[in-house]
Amino acid sequence: MALMPARPVRVTVFVRLKLRMLAHGLRGRGRRVVTFAVSLAVGLWLAVAGFLLFLTSGAVGRDIGYAMASFGGASLVLGWLLPPLLFFGVDETLDPARFALLPLPRRTLATGMLAGAVVGIPGLATALAMLGVAVAGGLRAGPAGVSVAVLGGALNLLLCVVLSRAVTSGFAALLRSRRVRDLAGVVIALVAASMGPLQLVISSTLGHASLAPALRIARVLGWTPLAAGFVAPYDLADGRPLLVPVRLGIVAGTVALLGWWWAVTLESAMIGVAGGPGGSRPVRDGVVRTLLPAVLRPAARPGQFAGIAARELRYWSRDPRRRSSLISIIVGGAVVPVALRLAPGHSAGVPLPLAVAFTSVAGAAILANQFGFDGSAYAVHLLAGVPGRTELRARAAALSVIMVPVLLVIVVAVAVFGEERGQLIATLGTAAAMYGASMAVASVLSVLVAYPVPDSRNAFASAGGSASAKGLVAFIGMVAAVVSASPVLMAALVLPGRLSWLVLPAGLAWGIAGVLVTTRVIGSELDRRGPDLLGEISLRS
Amino acid sequence: MLDGAQPALSLRGLVKRFDAKLAVGGVDLDVPTGSFYGLLGPNGAGKTTCLSMAVGLLRPSQGRAYVLGHDVWADPVEAKRRLGVLPDPVRMFDRLSGPELLAYQGLLRGMPPDLIETRANELLDVLGLADAGRTLVVDYSAGMKKKIGLACALLHAPRLLVLDEPFESVDPVAGSLIRDILHRYVETGGTVIFSSHVMEVVEKICSHVAILADGRIKAVGTLNEVRAGRDLEDVFVEVVGGRVATGEELTWL
Repeated sequence: MALMPARPVRVTVFVRLKLRMLAHGLRGRGRRVVTFAVSLAVGLWLAVAGFLLFLTSGAVGRDIGYAMASFGGASLVLGWLLPPLLFFGVDETLDPARFALLPLPRRTLATGMLAGAVVGIPGLATALAMLGVAVAGGLRAGPAGVSVAVLGGALNLLLCVVLSRAVTSGFAALLRSRRVRDLAGVVIALVAASMGPLQLVISSTLGHASLAPALRIARVLGWTPLAAGFVAPYDLADGRPLLVPVRLGIVAGTVALLGWWWAVTLESAMIGVAGGPGGSRPVRDGVVRTLLPAVLRPAARPGQFAGIAARELRYWSRDPRRRSSLISIIVGGAVVPVALRLAPGHSAGVPLPLAVAFTSVAGAAILANQFGFDGSAYAVHLLAGVPGRTELRARAAALSVIMVPVLLVIVVAVAVFGEERGQLIATLGTAAAMYGASMAVASVLSVLVAYPVPDSRNAFASAGGSASAKGLVAFIGMVAAVVSASPVLMAALVLPGRLSWLVLPAGLAWGIAGVLVTTRVIGSELDRRGPDLLGEISLRS
Repeated sequence: MLDGAQPALSLRGLVKRFDAKLAVGGVDLDVPTGSFYGLLGPNGAGKTTCLSMAVGLLRPSQGRAYVLGHDVWADPVEAKRRLGVLPDPVRMFDRLSGPELLAYQGLLRGMPPDLIETRANELLDVLGLADAGRTLVVDYSAGMKKKIGLACALLHAPRLLVLDEPFESVDPVAGSLIRDILHRYVETGGTVIFSSHVMEVVEKICSHVAILADGRIKAVGTLNEVRAGRDLEDVFVEVVGGRVATGEELTWL
């Protein structure tokens, strides 16, 4: 049979397809309509907000307007970049993979997908916001300003779309891999954990802000593709029209480059590459050396202790559940003392040793259910007959490799920036005592009250009902750690200044002894109830 | 006393109750040294529960388990030194690479680093896992996971191997490789007991068979004793009490 003669496929086909799919969004069942309505409302809201922002930038003073246009434009472009990275290709209505079986030239496919991508809520919202840029350009530099702004806006819209598409398809292979999904989980945890500190920083910056540094950053941004298109009208207003084509050229060149990269990577996105790179590097240095991280090699003889500590260290960075807990603990541990000591209005409130108490015992919160993270893999330790004492000490040691430097940096930083250098030595002592106590308490809790932690792709998922238990056990652990270090804490508060150095050796001894004695006692309990512990932390299927 | 003088594994009156449910109701079993023992049973028969109690992962409600004469629950250290286990569902620290996992296993077992080095590399080679390099075990295929699990169980050269469903979800190539390795292990004096519900595999490689159903041993002996000249599958279905189609039902098919 003869092949059907093929007519060239026009771009409008893709646009119509996309429009039809959008329309279907309105027709579907309840949830889909609601999703569509919500995204429409959010898109509209963002569009109006962006429009007003750019409009205002044309009406206020020149420097402020420049900064607004530059920052506003850059965040708009970045706003297009982040969602596909975080949520893996937000808009799948025109997924390249679905066209894999159709005999389409790469060029047709690329232009069609591009046109389809512009038609959609984000594209329309961005276009609406760009109208504000055009009006502002008119306010700054008359009709010529309008045309420059329209051209710059159109190029930037194209940049936004191409950027998000290129990232989605360029990283398609990567985004399908577990490794990158894990990474995204960490990014989300980091963003969530830094919301508080960010607020603190922004509000304190706004308190005594001056425009000069912001303007300097805005000028630099103005020469990057992120904001070049948005500040181009200002060159006209400043009487330097020759700079306009340069700035627009920067944006156009970036669009062309990304477009080319996108077209190249489209094919692999259609096919879907499995596996991913980096996996098959050979192991050169020998298997034991591969397992033991460099920090542990000089410190510990290869054996059960070094092995468990090494595996734990790897797991703090490789297990997304552990990683996100660790990140929240570190961020929280940094924020609380800063908020207590450095925030304006609180300076004379809390004594330094108490201000860093939370930071010192925060480790207890994540170690209190350390076996729960292992789940049924703990059977390996049980089968190898690892002594409970070694088990608990190796785990505490591994976390300390990460937490002790963090704690040290935070305590020193808070003491130095809070003008409390005199109390630094004593505070290090109380921190050591409380940290040791937190490791000891967490060891006890982790053996006696363990519960399963589901292994999920979502770093925030938790088994129904266990979330509250988790919070409670962690809280008990932290309070108990502070209480059991209270003698050292008291000493730090009552000792006169010239004797306060005594707190450091006392705190170190208290902490280390606490860990050694507790792990010895609870270690033999662990030897007895190991199989029962395994049952408690294994998820029933 | 010589280890070979007594059964490699013997179970005495093992009972396990979960709340009101009786999962294993008194199992007695002797696995002779040097045998290739198949523990057969339908899904939910209590095979995993039984083997978990035998190796010290699940505390029995009653009864005892001995590995080469050492009580698993009273003298776990000596028993576990002689024991290699492939648990199922595969319980491993799967965010390590294959080589890391083997090194970890070796260190946990207290082996000297150079011995770990030679054995791990040989196992990775033989099992065709050397090419996987630094890929994490969590990203391995099902067959590769079984193979690395088997490597972990073999690394310290145990005298008794307890394998839970070693041939489940394994492709024929990996399956026959695992079979060859286990055969060689038995020929050099090792003992294997494994659970399965795949008759063909059991019939092909086992010297002894026990059939477990509803938490009790229903038939036990050498393969030929249990078969008694019949097809193993027929014996199995009869012993377990499964329903055999008579040809009267589903006539509309």
